[in-house]
Order: sequence, then C-alpha cells, then structure tokens
Amino acid sequence: MKALVRYLPLLLIALAWEASSRLGLVSTLTLPALSDVIAAWFELAKSGDLVANAATSLYRGGIGLLLSIFIGGALGILMAWWRPLDVLLGPLVELFYPMPKSALIPVTVLWLGFGDGSKILLIFLGCMLPVTIGAFNGARGCDRLLVWSVRSMGASRLRALWDVVLPSAMPELLNGIRSALALTFVLLVSAELIQARSGLGYLIGFLGAGGIYDAMFAVVLTVAFLGFLADRLYLMAMRRALIWRE
Amino acid sequence: MARVAERAPWRSTIGWSAARFLSIGLLLAAWELLSHSGTVTPFMLPSIETVVARILHDAGTGELFINLGLTLYRSLLGFLIAAGAGIALGLFISRSAVVYWFFDPVISVGFPMPKIAFLPIVVLWLGFYDVSKVTMVVFDAIFPVVTATIAGIQGVEREALWSARNLGASERRLQWEIMLPAALPQILTGLQVALPIALIVDIVAEMIMGGYGIGGAMATASRFADSRGVFAGLVEIAIVGFCLVKAMALMRRRLLLWHPEALDPANG
Amino acid sequence: MSSSRSFETAASPPPQGGVRKRAKIVVDRVDHLYRPPRGRPVLALENVSLDIREREFIALLGPSGCGKSTLLYLMGGFLPIETGTITVDDKPVVAPGPDRGIVFQSFALFPWKTVRANVTYGLERQGLSRAEREARAQRFIDMVGLTGFEDSFPSQLSGGMKQRAAIARTLAIDPDVLLMDEPFGALDAQTRHLMQAELLAIWQRSPKTVIFVTHDVQEAVYLAERVAVMSARPGRIKVIVDTRFDKNDPHVQKSKPFIDKVDELWGLVREEAIKAERRAGP
Repeated sequence: MKALVRYLPLLLIALAWEASSRLGLVSTLTLPALSDVIAAWFELAKSGDLVANAATSLYRGGIGLLLSIFIGGALGILMAWWRPLDVLLGPLVELFYPMPKSALIPVTVLWLGFGDGSKILLIFLGCMLPVTIGAFNGARGCDRLLVWSVRSMGASRLRALWDVVLPSAMPELLNGIRSALALTFVLLVSAELIQARSGLGYLIGFLGAGGIYDAMFAVVLTVAFLGFLADRLYLMAMRRALIWRE
Repeated sequence: MARVAERAPWRSTIGWSAARFLSIGLLLAAWELLSHSGTVTPFMLPSIETVVARILHDAGTGELFINLGLTLYRSLLGFLIAAGAGIALGLFISRSAVVYWFFDPVISVGFPMPKIAFLPIVVLWLGFYDVSKVTMVVFDAIFPVVTATIAGIQGVEREALWSARNLGASERRLQWEIMLPAALPQILTGLQVALPIALIVDIVAEMIMGGYGIGGAMATASRFADSRGVFAGLVEIAIVGFCLVKAMALMRRRLLLWHPEALDPANG
Repeated sequence: MSSSRSFETAASPPPQGGVRKRAKIVVDRVDHLYRPPRGRPVLALENVSLDIREREFIALLGPSGCGKSTLLYLMGGFLPIETGTITVDDKPVVAPGPDRGIVFQSFALFPWKTVRANVTYGLERQGLSRAEREARAQRFIDMVGLTGFEDSFPSQLSGGMKQRAAIARTLAIDPDVLLMDEPFGALDAQTRHLMQAELLAIWQRSPKTVIFVTHDVQEAVYLAERVAVMSARPGRIKVIVDTRFDKNDPHVQKSKPFIDKVDELWGLVREEAIKAERRAGP
C-alpha cells in the first residue's frame, strides 16, 4: 500500500502521457502513445528479438562486472594490506579515477572489434575503479584491534586477511559494486549504441534508424527499467548481506 | 616467523608526490617498452612518441583546440544548467511535501537508470545538434545535484533555523543566508559528482552522434582504424578529466574555508 | 614497597609444592620508540623490567600516555620489540599467539558474526569437532552470563554484554596468559563494578596469569595481587606494590587497609598524572 502511494506519481505521468497522445496534444510521430509502445513491446518479446538481444547484453555486462568485482576487489584489499602495492598503484588509481570511462569505448573496439569481447573488456576496465576504491577504503578502515584479536587466537596473517579484513571491507566494497553496477549499464548501452552488431543498445539504434519509433521507445524503456531493477535487487541483496549492521 | 610490525612511515620519507611520479613513470615506461617490444602491433598500441606527435600535430592544425573547445563548451554548459536547475529544483522539492512526494519516485527510479539510453529519443525530438548533447548532459548531471541539495537542506540543523527565525529573519533571508551555506558542503559534493558525469555523457553523446568534439573525433578515428587518433583522444580526455576534477576540488576548498573539513590535515 | 625485581629470575628451579610461583613472563630492559606517521619519534617506554609470576594477577597502573598499553601490546607480540627482551616461559615473544589472549577496551568483536560465532572462532584452530567447539563455546557464554544471546549480533548488545562476549571469546581458547587493556573503561560505573566482581570470580575458579592495564586506582587495588605503578612518558616502572586482600570479603573495599592502600597509590599516580598533564603535546 505504501509502495503504491510512493510510486503513484509515475502512474500519473504514464496517464498524462497516454492522454496527451490520445488527445492529439503531441504528434504521435515524435511521441508514440504509451499504449502503442506497450503493444510494440509485446511484439518484440514475441518475436524473440528482445530476449535475444537482452541476453547478449546481460551476458556481456554480467561477465565484465563479475571480472571487475573479483579482480578489482582483490586488488583494493591487497593495496590496503600491503603498503608497497599501495605506493605503486595508488597514484595510478587517483589518476584514472577522473577519466571518463567511456573514452575506453573506441580503444576496446580497436583491440577486440565489434563483438562481445570488446564490451566485456570495456566493462571490466571501467568498473574496476569504483570496486577497487571501495575495497581499498573498506579494508583501510578495518579496525587493527580486530586483526590483533584474530592473530592472538592463532590465525596467520593470511587468515587474518580473509577472516577480518575482507568482511570489514564489505560495506564499502558493496557500495563500490553498486556504483559499478550502474556504470555497467551505462557503458554497455553506450558501446552498443556506438559500435555493435547485437545487444539492446544496438537494437535501439537499429529501430531508430528504421523509423520504428514505438518499438524504439519500448526498448529504451526496457533498458531503463532493467537498470532500475538491477539496482533495486542489488540493494535488497546488500541489505541482507549487511544485516549485522546497525 | 611473521612480525606484526608498526607500519613504517613510507609516506613521510618518500613523499607523496615523489611516489606519484614514480608509478606514472613506471606506467609510461611499461607503455614504451610494450609498444616497441614487438609483442603488440603499432596498431594495437602506438608508441608514446607517435601519440604525442599526433597530439602536437592536431594542436598545430588547430583541430585539437576546436575539438577540445566544443567538448568543454558542451559539458560545462550542460553542467552549469544542471547545477543551477538542480539546486533550484532541490530547494523547491525540499520545501514542499507535495512536491517531494511527486518527485521522489521520479528521482529514485531515474537515478539508477542508464539515461544514455534516452539519447535516441532526445535526438528524435531535438535533432542532431549541440542542443541534444547538452540536453543529455543536463538530464544525466541533474540527478546527483538534486539529491545532494535535498540531502544538504534536510540536514540543516533545526536549531540553527529556529535561532534565525527567532532573530527575525524573513523566509527569503533564511533561505539564502542560513540554509544554503549550511547545505553548501553537500551541494558541492553533488556538483563534484555531476561534473565528471557531464564530461562522460557529453563524450558518449559525441561518439554516438559523431561530428566534432573529442568524443566525436575519437569515434571518427575508430571508424577509420586510426589507432593513433584514438589514443591521442584518450590521452586528451584523461588530461581534461583530471584537470576538471582538480579544479573542482580547489574551488571547493576556497568556498568552504569556514568548514571544519578545511582544517582537517587529511584534506590539506 | 617492593622494588621492581623482588624475586628470582626464570633461571631458578621450579618450587616444590607450588609454594613460590616461578616467573611466567620476564620483561628485561625494554624500550619502545613510537613513530607517528607525521612528526618525530617519541620514547614511549624506557628501560622497563618486570617479572610476572605464574597465575599472578598483576595490574599496570598509570596516567594516560604512560605506555602501559604499549607494554601490554609488546607482551602480546603485536608490536616489534626493538630494545630489550620479553620472554614467556623462557621463550622470547616474536608474534601474537593463543597462549596470550587479549581483551580490548573497544571489545574488538567481529560485528558480522553472532556471539556464538565470535566465541567459536578461536576454537577452530584447536582441532576440536564441531560439536565440541559449540559445547565449549556455550560453556563460556554461560559463564559470562550471556545465555540466550548466542544468536545476537554485537550491534544488538549493550556495552557490558559486548565486553562479556569479548571475554568469553578470549577465555574459550584457554590461554595461559590473559592480557587485558582497560577492558571496563568503556562501561558505565555500575556495569564496571559488576564486571570486576565477575572477573575476579572467574579468575579464582580457573587461575591464569592476568596482566590488567587500568588508570583506575580502585580497580587496580581490588582486582590485582600486585600493582605496578608506571611513570609518565617515557614510561618506567616506578614502583610495585603488594595489594593482596581478602577479595571474597564483600566489604573489603571499605576496610581501612584497603582504603589506605588506594590512597597510597593515588598519591603516586597523581604525581605522574600531573607531570603528564604539564608536558605540552608530543
């Protein structure tokens, strides 16, 4: 019930959209009626185009993100744990942080062409940064007394890393991953809009070029919704994982 | 036999700037070595000299400055509009419960969405010119500004407002002289987040739409398999991004001289 | 008042019948130089020597900054020993280990683990079966009075309960030596009194060597058999005072000898506290 009240404005916007098209306030060329868009969505779903391209996109994004999580996360924690690594890589992280990750799009295409490989590499490289920084800050903030407690109970330094530093770093690391998740969608869609032969971004471009605007709107909204849904699901999972927090 | 030693004072002995140069130097050295070693083709990884030569060449023909200028113009224009409109909207939203109720789901749903997906729609409505690019930038950059403004204003101490009212301040004065300065740190953080976003979105928009601008130039280079052009663009963007962020941080320090965070040695 | 070295070193043969306890821990002319990330190094401890007998309860008492916690951390193997030696059972201390359990003022519980998981953590390294570990952990959870809270997270517990959990966790691994760094400092006065009595009861039931750091004179005299008073920075052992009373007598804290002893120590500590305060920052 509370959710309904909260999201009611969106319903109102949807109604306003439908009304303005029906009443001829806006040309249906530039703004197809919501009902048309929904109909086009079902068409796409039935024909399998939507699912196939969505699968491709999600596959690319998923692998790239997972790679960046594991490698970036490990890197961040190691940098916090082992000073020499921090001295070596820290300035590089600082240097590349303000760089727009989308600048990597042409470079990855240069290296790996139009297919899945370039997108996965793009997302891997782009998402590494927020994950590494999150892991680093999280591990840095680890209470050294916790490490000492564990060591005094017989744990080796390596065990302490796994048993104490990693769980301590979780809150910040998970936040970093959340940013990386949003970035994944942005980079994926951008890359697919620019240079690709498949995927949701490509589909949008294709439909747009072909003038099939109601279907194009349908896919755009789908992509937007997927990004939103992924974030919400991730938040739920994150809250579960951090249930011990107060 | 592992000794859990006290951390040796690396930073104080080496010095932070020296360390920075060391790792960048190593990176550049690795780049040079790799490009000349023969394990990758000059196409995949042009050597530093060729990239620098290319940048200088573009500077000579003036193309560099045209592209740079256009990209900066679009991103900064979009950023400033997003900043102004965002702060105003944030103020508006936090003052009225009804307005808050209306915009809350819009922001909450809109924030995590890859808004770049809407670019084809924006192009459909506004054409292929700068307007579309700037609009896209505003659309993306406004979100962090609005949320930061709302958070900043809501975070203003209630007692400070009560004191001000007690001393006879009008609503107008209250807004400008008490609320905004108190919310300023958070608003500035929002702006600091929005600026890189503005740059990213503009570059992507240029890549998608083509034409001039650093992003556009990179996309063109990519299409023509001009790897030196692509890397030149990459270096240029990296430098621009770095400079903008540093400039923003400097401005923040100037504007927040009175804030405790300015006295924190960690931020020195 | 006894001097810092009032009995034989570890080299002497163990006593018959346990009448005289041998030295469990020997601290020999230890210095410690503290190197802050910014600024000049500071001598935290200077020429500290101390013999601690087996199963003795000794308190390290002194003003803030006198290095008492530092000495504890050196014994625990958490800080490197650069000058001098510390031996436990004649073996030099080089690293932390389960023979020297530690309890911190800030509890240092794992916030992501339940109480039970916290207490069983140290047992995982001891080669017990799962059932044995849980049974053992439960014993200690019950011993410290946390029955019923096994599945709670630290964020759900009060300060006193957190400290009980921390103590249970350390006791569960059955260390020979218990290092306690102002464990009750973060608790309110009433809880503190309760915890002191309970700690004493636990120690009397299963005696261990306890080194208890505190700045609270009353606490030191009540809990410990001997109190080592430390000087202001750089920390030295100023004097070691005998504080054996009948701790089981509920009115012992109001008895004249007890109060006199507290006053005596208070005088010593006060001198050092004033010196510490006078000294401008590091």
